[in-house]
Amino acid sequence: MNARIMQTPPTTTVPVLRLPRGPDGLSRGFAPDGRRAPLKPVVPEIPESQESRESQEQRARATLRERYLRSLLAMVGRQVSFTLHEGVHVTAHFGATDLDVANFYVSQLQTPIGVQAEALLRCSDIVSYTFKP
Amino acid sequence: MAMRQTPLTCSGHTRPVVDLAFSGITPYGYFLISACKDGKPMLRQGDTGDWIGTFLGHKGAVWGATLNKDATKAATAAADFTAKVWDAVSGDELMTLAHKHIVKTVDFTQDSNYLLTGGQDKLLRIYDLNKPEADPKEISGHTSGIKKALWCSEDKQILSADDKTVRLWDHATMTEVKSLNFNMSVSSMEYIPEGEILVITYGRSIAFHSAVSLDPIKSFEAPATINSASLHPEKEFLVAGGEDFKLYKYDYNSGEELESYKGHFGPIHCVRFSPDGELYASGSEDGTLRLWQTVVGKTYGLWKCVLPEDSGDLAKPKISFPETAEEELEEIASENSDSIDSSTPEVKA
Repeated sequence: MNARIMQTPPTTTVPVLRLPRGPDGLSRGFAPDGRRAPLKPVVPEIPESQESRESQEQRARATLRERYLRSLLAMVGRQVSFTLHEGVHVTAHFGATDLDVANFYVSQLQTPIGVQAEALLRCSDIVSYTFKP
Repeated sequence: MAMRQTPLTCSGHTRPVVDLAFSGITPYGYFLISACKDGKPMLRQGDTGDWIGTFLGHKGAVWGATLNKDATKAATAAADFTAKVWDAVSGDELMTLAHKHIVKTVDFTQDSNYLLTGGQDKLLRIYDLNKPEADPKEISGHTSGIKKALWCSEDKQILSADDKTVRLWDHATMTEVKSLNFNMSVSSMEYIPEGEILVITYGRSIAFHSAVSLDPIKSFEAPATINSASLHPEKEFLVAGGEDFKLYKYDYNSGEELESYKGHFGPIHCVRFSPDGELYASGSEDGTLRLWQTVVGKTYGLWKCVLPEDSGDLAKPKISFPETAEEELEEIASENSDSIDSSTPEVKA
């Protein structure tokens, strides 16, 4: 059937979270605490106010969280080795995690008792995991 | 129900945007650089259009700009007779490469070790970025100013376009392998490594050639003079823009015009797909860059799909990839401030 679908006039535009941020008008940018700045250990030379230390900590937390989330993204489709409790090692192809990072959805899970095509690994059962990007 | 495209306008430039380029996909996402006649090329986060920084130093219009694959370096070509190499993380200028005329185009090799430049002096130059003091290798042959020069075939060959010709050169021997002649001015050129495809625009034509043999593959005609076109990474679509201020989207296989968008207030000078194909960016005489969704209505970057059962406002914060950490904080902050307002009633004596 090759009938062309008549488009009814669109009634809504795609919503956006916000508009792109523009130049700050003050500096040339490339913020030292931006995404790609190397994480340096915070060694305050002068005593800082409580407020700015908290916001520094918050920024550091946010950057670390973002890096962790990106590491999960980088893992998708890769072979990952998991170390579980009691010295059990398994490997699998990483698929996805859920919102709270409570479970990992994996495929081709190699276990001591055979290969499971699809599986959910409880993160509380995982001691550590490693993969090569 | 069809949704209408919401382009995201990136402001900041004060003069026409004449060139733009995306980086590859890096662990920090991908990036976008824009060249502007105001002499101040800007770096932006590729999926949101957020400004990151401005490369300050050129003393004339910047005609060409590019990023290396991992967006650690940027290169710019300017009317001040120089090409500059920049640290794209800090914004610092790393090298100034003097030329004898306006420089129009710059391109890094895959390993970022060499920079190709071309411009009004009609020479292609290859700089070894590990030996900035050494003289560049020069390739002559063009008889009019070079508009675009690109590495191709894994940096073993070079493609260059002047006003009426596109030439293919062998890097090792620095000699011309083949050339194409046009009777209309070539306005743009794009090289697609996967599949070795060359996209050339001239007049109203958008032409596709093999980058290896320069043999024609196919071509389409647009309703107006086209200044730039880009092929989607999966080669399903192409987008093109030009003198009528509109952006056109075509099906690459059938040549059917799928969509056209108004939005810019001046001719479009450059258009490129992002490396993941999810959006395309256009730069215009009106001084703005606009980001457009490839699939209208999809949740990506700053565009948020709203399903029929959701209310207009984001009632519950939805944390979805690839939101930035800052957006997560903004959503959490607004949630926090709401609860504080409602739980601490003011007591007046």
